[in-house]
Amino acid sequence: MEKGGSDGTPISLEELNKLKSIAERARRNVIRMLFYDQTIHVGSSLSSIEILTTLFFRYLREGKDPINRDWLILSKGHAAPALYAVLAEKGYISEDELWKIQDISGLLQGHPEIFIPGVDMATGSLGQGLSFGIGVAQGIKMKGGTGRVFVIMGDGEQDEGEIWEAMTHAVTRKLDNLVAFIEMNGFQLDDSTSNVKPKDFLPDVWKAVGWKTLSCDGHDFVSIINTIDEALKVKAPVVIFAKTMRGKGFPVIENSKRQRSSPDDARKFLLNA
Amino acid sequence: MMQGSSYSMRDTFGKLLAELGEKNKDIVVITADVGDSTRAMYFREKFPDRYFNVGISEQDMINFAAGLSAVGFKPLIVNFSMFVMRAWEQIRNSVARMNLDVKILVTHAGYSDSGDGSSHQSLEDIALMRVLPNMKVIVPADPDDIKRSLPVVIQELRGPLYYRMGREYSPSITTGVDYDFKLGKAYVLRDGDDVAIMGAGVVLWDALKAAEELEKIGISAAVINLFSIKPIDEDTIEYYARKTGRVVTIEEHSIYGGIGSAVAEVLAKRYPTKMRFIGATTFGRSARSQRDLLDYYGINYKSVISAALELVK
Repeated sequence: MEKGGSDGTPISLEELNKLKSIAERARRNVIRMLFYDQTIHVGSSLSSIEILTTLFFRYLREGKDPINRDWLILSKGHAAPALYAVLAEKGYISEDELWKIQDISGLLQGHPEIFIPGVDMATGSLGQGLSFGIGVAQGIKMKGGTGRVFVIMGDGEQDEGEIWEAMTHAVTRKLDNLVAFIEMNGFQLDDSTSNVKPKDFLPDVWKAVGWKTLSCDGHDFVSIINTIDEALKVKAPVVIFAKTMRGKGFPVIENSKRQRSSPDDARKFLLNA
Repeated sequence: MMQGSSYSMRDTFGKLLAELGEKNKDIVVITADVGDSTRAMYFREKFPDRYFNVGISEQDMINFAAGLSAVGFKPLIVNFSMFVMRAWEQIRNSVARMNLDVKILVTHAGYSDSGDGSSHQSLEDIALMRVLPNMKVIVPADPDDIKRSLPVVIQELRGPLYYRMGREYSPSITTGVDYDFKLGKAYVLRDGDDVAIMGAGVVLWDALKAAEELEKIGISAAVINLFSIKPIDEDTIEYYARKTGRVVTIEEHSIYGGIGSAVAEVLAKRYPTKMRFIGATTFGRSARSQRDLLDYYGINYKSVISAALELVK
């Protein structure tokens, strides 16, 4: 096994504390990015921090061989700041780059691009990551590789028709090397998901078409880890409905439809936190 | 009306696809429930494990192919031109943006799905595809052009490609002409001094027919096969614009953003020239044959002759 991929082994208190401190630094760095650019999607990013941290620091097996490494596709590409903050923790990019996010001279784009180290798919337009993940997972199986594919989607993203196309497709292909997350933070751009298009029925739909459906608390490392461990044992595509909170840990926007905040709010938070 | 020997675009394409599958084991074919109509079925019969029908799901089809490409396969998307356009945004944001080696090979372009009417006729696709960075656009004229170009673009070119074909109607245009396909190069089907007729696809039959008729009244017309629409052969376009001073373009596609526009873009910067554009300006309608539609909408040799005479007088 390549570096990473410690799935299956029980988590130690030491590792748990390590994941918590990584996530906390990543969370603070996302909020700190507000000093430099106020247009980043902070709310959606903060809801993804623990899931990204867990995947990058406990599961994803790195490597150059595309069929014998794991893939991470951030289909909800607007959570790019969280991805970048975790990639910086992982050493793929330097922390200084974080402060140049969306700057014309910077590496880090508003949404993920594959020229950014550690990014596996250019995303940003919602609904496209799962289909790409199915292609990667199918290709890996055809070539006899050991790679696994993790796709992170949002709940609002589930409005897209391509998700339905991909959902039924993955089951047809019997892809047991594919794990999808749907983050249920309850908000999409304009309003709460329940006001725009209700999402409560989604687990039933995914299950009905043949996915193994699991759920977890998307901010609790133990819950995330236990669920991923279970997912990796299943011989079918698995979707994990992760209950998350938009803006988690940043009270001025927490659990609201607000995506953005001011540098002043960021400063106050970072000083008091 | 004499149209030369008729042989099927899609049958030629499908059989060639199966042959190419023998040569390259990384080739996978992906379609959205139109394997029979596009003749991708010939590939399916030989390589069922490398053939994917994703169902009537064009958006998923594009990103599934993108994913396969990311792990080293050579995905060939085979579908109707019109329905690939449904996933234009996926093509833009995944295939072109990541510059992946995904080839989009379409049949039923232009008016070639004559009976099904305007919902199935693709008259905007060249414009939509050539606007995309990294995307190359090829339009073969007839089955012989397919035989010349398809193996080259699949085996030798990396990156996104849009390859546009019709269905059955395919008058002989390049049969017996000895030339090789080269990306970015036009081919001169007929030399001439007074007017240059430029275009791609089956309508080049009308360009050649018009040139024959014009010759009878003393007008010498060159006919240029621009089957590489992007990149386009700027040198040949400029050379014939300078030589003749008059250019008529013909395409089985909207005149807005299509082949005529591509030629005009070249000439506007290199040698502004009087031009006439022959092509579609409306949605189509049902007809019993593609030829009926080309004639109904005036995308034919008669229009080329009129345009040439207008420019020459």
